[in-house]
Amino acid sequence: MAEQETAADPILAPSSSSSPLSVRTTKPGTKRLLVTLSILLSGLVFLPIFYKSTEIYRSPLPFSSISSLSSHLHSLRPPIPTLLHVLFIRSHPIDSTDSQRISDLIILDLQSRTKSQVSVSISAHSGEGLESLDLSDDEAMDAFLLGMVDASVYTVVVVERAVKGNAKVVVGKHRHAWVVGLVEESEVARVISGVFWKYFVNGGREDGEMVGGEEGDALPVGSDGSLVLSFSLLNADPSDGVYDWDIQKTDRVLAPILESLAPIANITVESQVLYHAPKSSISNWDDRLHSYALSTSALPFFVNSNEWHLDTSIAAPGRSKVLQFVVYIPSATEWPLVLQFPNGETSQTNSFVSPMWGGVVVWNPPESSRNVQKPHFGKHIISTEDLQKIFQVFVGQLRVLFGLRSNNLDDAEIGVTKFLATPKGFTAWELDVLHRRHTYLNLLSCASTLDSLSKLVKSLPRMIIMDEIGKQVKLSVEVASLAQNYASHGVYNASAVSSRNARALAEDAFYHPSIMSISYSSFEHTIAIYMPFFVPVSLQVLIAAKKELTRYKRERAKYLASSA
Amino acid sequence: MASTVAARAPATIHTSFLLLLVILLSCDLFDRIIASSGEAREEEFTEELLLKPLPDKKILAHFHFQSTVPPSDSIGHHHHLFPKAIAQLVKKFHIRELELSFTQGRWNYESWGGSDPMSNINAKPPGVEMWAVFDLPVNDIDESWKGLTHALSGIFCSSLNFLESSTAYSAPHWGLRTNSSSMRYGALPREAVCTENLTPWLKLLPCRDKAGLASLLDRPSIYKGYYHSQRLQLFSSAASGIILDQTLTVVLQPNVQRNGMPNSYDRFLQPNWSIMSMFKKKVTGQCALARASSIFIELEDGLATELEKLGAGESWNNLAFDLSVAPDRVIKEHNSVEGKSSSILYEFKVVKYSKYEPLDVGIKWKLPLLWSCPEAPFHARRFLMGSGNERGSIAISLQPTQSCDQFLSDSHKCTVRAVIFQVAPWYVKVYYHTLQIFIDGRSVPVADVVEKISVSPSEDKVSPGSLQMMLRFPCDMNSAALAMDFDKGFLHIDEYPPDANQGFDIPSAVVSFPDFYSSRSYLEDNCLKQSPLLLKLQKRTALQSYTEVLLVPLTTPDFSMPYNVITFTCTVLALYFGSLLNALRRRIGEEEQLLKSKDSKRVGLIPRLLSKLKGRTLESHQSSSGSSASSKPRPKWLFKVIFVALIAVLWHYYSNID
Repeated sequence: MAEQETAADPILAPSSSSSPLSVRTTKPGTKRLLVTLSILLSGLVFLPIFYKSTEIYRSPLPFSSISSLSSHLHSLRPPIPTLLHVLFIRSHPIDSTDSQRISDLIILDLQSRTKSQVSVSISAHSGEGLESLDLSDDEAMDAFLLGMVDASVYTVVVVERAVKGNAKVVVGKHRHAWVVGLVEESEVARVISGVFWKYFVNGGREDGEMVGGEEGDALPVGSDGSLVLSFSLLNADPSDGVYDWDIQKTDRVLAPILESLAPIANITVESQVLYHAPKSSISNWDDRLHSYALSTSALPFFVNSNEWHLDTSIAAPGRSKVLQFVVYIPSATEWPLVLQFPNGETSQTNSFVSPMWGGVVVWNPPESSRNVQKPHFGKHIISTEDLQKIFQVFVGQLRVLFGLRSNNLDDAEIGVTKFLATPKGFTAWELDVLHRRHTYLNLLSCASTLDSLSKLVKSLPRMIIMDEIGKQVKLSVEVASLAQNYASHGVYNASAVSSRNARALAEDAFYHPSIMSISYSSFEHTIAIYMPFFVPVSLQVLIAAKKELTRYKRERAKYLASSA
Repeated sequence: MASTVAARAPATIHTSFLLLLVILLSCDLFDRIIASSGEAREEEFTEELLLKPLPDKKILAHFHFQSTVPPSDSIGHHHHLFPKAIAQLVKKFHIRELELSFTQGRWNYESWGGSDPMSNINAKPPGVEMWAVFDLPVNDIDESWKGLTHALSGIFCSSLNFLESSTAYSAPHWGLRTNSSSMRYGALPREAVCTENLTPWLKLLPCRDKAGLASLLDRPSIYKGYYHSQRLQLFSSAASGIILDQTLTVVLQPNVQRNGMPNSYDRFLQPNWSIMSMFKKKVTGQCALARASSIFIELEDGLATELEKLGAGESWNNLAFDLSVAPDRVIKEHNSVEGKSSSILYEFKVVKYSKYEPLDVGIKWKLPLLWSCPEAPFHARRFLMGSGNERGSIAISLQPTQSCDQFLSDSHKCTVRAVIFQVAPWYVKVYYHTLQIFIDGRSVPVADVVEKISVSPSEDKVSPGSLQMMLRFPCDMNSAALAMDFDKGFLHIDEYPPDANQGFDIPSAVVSFPDFYSSRSYLEDNCLKQSPLLLKLQKRTALQSYTEVLLVPLTTPDFSMPYNVITFTCTVLALYFGSLLNALRRRIGEEEQLLKSKDSKRVGLIPRLLSKLKGRTLESHQSSSGSSASSKPRPKWLFKVIFVALIAVLWHYYSNID
């Protein structure tokens, strides 16, 4: 065929040489056209296969479940308890209309505060054994009630006994509060709903304060769920005298607190004594106070990061949070040092808290250790009583850092006359609040981490994703849903633990070393490698195909014209 | 006294003996009480400074800080004086011993000494040297070493994390002073040392540089010196707790202080110096936390011999020199060797001085004195042989010095041992079988000299090669040399450092002499036990010296090479492909005819372009004549250029939007 065509061409030649639009008698051959077209086609077919071959391994990530999790969590309100039990201790049983009326009153009051449904159950008890109890002994009452009510449900006990003066409302160490006195039904309902909402649900903070998950609300716990409490004793100027402490003696104070916070974080404690660590703000002598006063407006400059080598802990793993608790001993030239509010009053605890960083206590050495000749020269040990006091302040600061009030005294608005404090530092209902909030914030942070990971992965198509990352992400999503499950069933400490794990897994996936590597090639790199081959070759093929096609069309037109 | 006792009744002798015994016992008991109370006591800190004039008119200043913590459960959790970071490090990585040195400059073994304890312990190779012994099963050591290097690089702001890679460290078993199977050794010869390493080091001291002797560390003064070595040494055991020694050794050139007219006589005089003239500061009292704080001025044996010849004695102001402050104590070395004077230490207690009465101890020379330092028995040198980028050889030469004879009582028929430990990175492929040994210039069989050898050959990109070798030489030799050939390897393009053309460093080799020891011995005194620095000097340690760092140039590639290769091969392939396609497709005869027919009317692309260019230039030349023919295609060209530019802009815009 090729020979035929080439043989045919010379015949045409004499005529075509005179004019290209001369007649053609034979049908134009299609062989060369087919060859060029087949090369073009095979190139086109090969292109996607080739593209597939240049792809790098990416472990499949569950993008859809990540996005559904994050959209679900963002629409979610922080979980709140939905069960409230009211127990009346009275001589006669309560009838159903009365109980219905009271529960309606409580629910009505609660509905003005929240949209979520709370179911209220009401029962009555004759109160055997209560006669022997002194109603003014709150500790005994608390212990007695613990044995009487279901410890997992929030309970308000109304003891209908006549008492002197106003009715007494006490919030206990566990999940119950009690009212002693003969109070009207509407007043009882108001107190019950107030206690339930403000304390059992919100942990003593004002309404709406904890709702929403702003950054400032996050608990001071590292993203891997660990927390280091670093206690430092700072001697501003050791040449005036060196102060030391027996920190091991405070273990008794700290141990129960660490135990109760265990579901929220892995807590480790360490301490050090630093010397030559002056503060960086300046105090003034106040004649009225007979001491050096430091205005609270100067507190932002108190922490001297140049000289206070508080350091992060080496023993702690990578992403843990360190909370610094600092005892500052002023130098002899600044003794005694007090913190003064703008209104002229001095701070009772002589301490302050810096959110997410820790707390500082200014401790002035007692006068007895001061010597006129050589101002408290030598080595002193802070007495156990003083240390006890300092650590009580630290416990209060820890509560503030965790978003609770440093200590609950009374609340006239709701009518609570007393809160029972526990040596554990945190009462059961406070821990519940912390667990709920921790769960909620952890899940939010976990979702946002996974979200950004999936965004990152999608935006970098040439990034290598190891199997391990895929596994961590999957596990994190699963644990997060588990945590949600626990929270909805009211198992708050378990949900805190699993939400912590979910967040840690998500962070691990995000900070996986393989993601950090810069060795994945960019788009420009790919172009630089493949262009030198593909551009010249594709140009050749395309031009050839175009030329052949136009020639074929022209020749066919000639043939058709001549044959017509 | 004894005779008077003898004249009395034997009973009194008996009682006096008893009394003596009781006194002795009580002394012993007292010591024990002190010791036990020392154990029960808290963490301790001591600071000391030793100043020493060197024969070449320089001054050695050696700061020694020691922090100790008794063994307890709270190590790593609660600390009072001891740095928490170090205790946590020891606990986390199970360190039994650790030594880390940052050094700038090379210790001059010839003129600063090689066999006295001060130079033997404190001379370190340039850059960073680190070794650690772990209290761990063998399989876990590497993991712990990696973590440790990372933690230390964080603490000391240095690139110690480069020691993490298994190509950077080795595991010597017997080539070093400390021998253990759970030891790891690594060195970074090129690490630069500066204040950013000193500041975190000072942070480990309870007073930092705010008070005490460390306040003397004026940065410009100490970094101006000839040698600067900052060291951290850790010993940890269940029985003694953790001992942390931090030392800083600097060799400084004091500013010459001269009174009156200079004369030729002054040239031989040692420079006068004081703490103020060297550090621009005075000592304003000790660190309040320090248990002991003292400054020593040492006059070594060579100088002491000269002084004795002059009959100057050991008083602090004699006819040869004056000390500006009276020392609190003069400690003389207890020397058993006859006919040799012993070194003298003048001690100054810092506790007596304060801000209002600062201590500025110095020395003023009156007579010119020349002396020499105690040299090491052998000078160890290492150098490269061969040229080119392919192969070469490493040679180590050992030259006996004059002091060698002092060490050896009988120089005939005796032998000395030398242990060489050398690590070479994997890209320097040492052929250990090519080891050749020359004694007095003559080659000797390896088996005659080498007593013990262990070689771990390098593995490409996995581990460095290390050589531990114990040699035994005859004492009366004049020189010894050993040489090994090596090939230079090729690195992967990613493995080259940014300044690849500078060359690659081979860390210093360590040459130790197990037959020679350095130690000072002072007369037993309770106060001497209180000084960790003097205890260090009294410790009997084998002599050891470091050789030079070698710089090996390797072939460095053109780093754009991969792209060049890709472009080149792709162009060849595309050319091949194109010509094959054309051979398949083109009809030569027809095209030629077509061209001929077109020639009359149309011109080819290149001639057309050329003519266009010409036309344009012609046009610019003949703007007055105004050729209408060539101005016609210009808008079209302009349009095309704008179109392409537009596409490029759009492409850029959209590709950046993602």
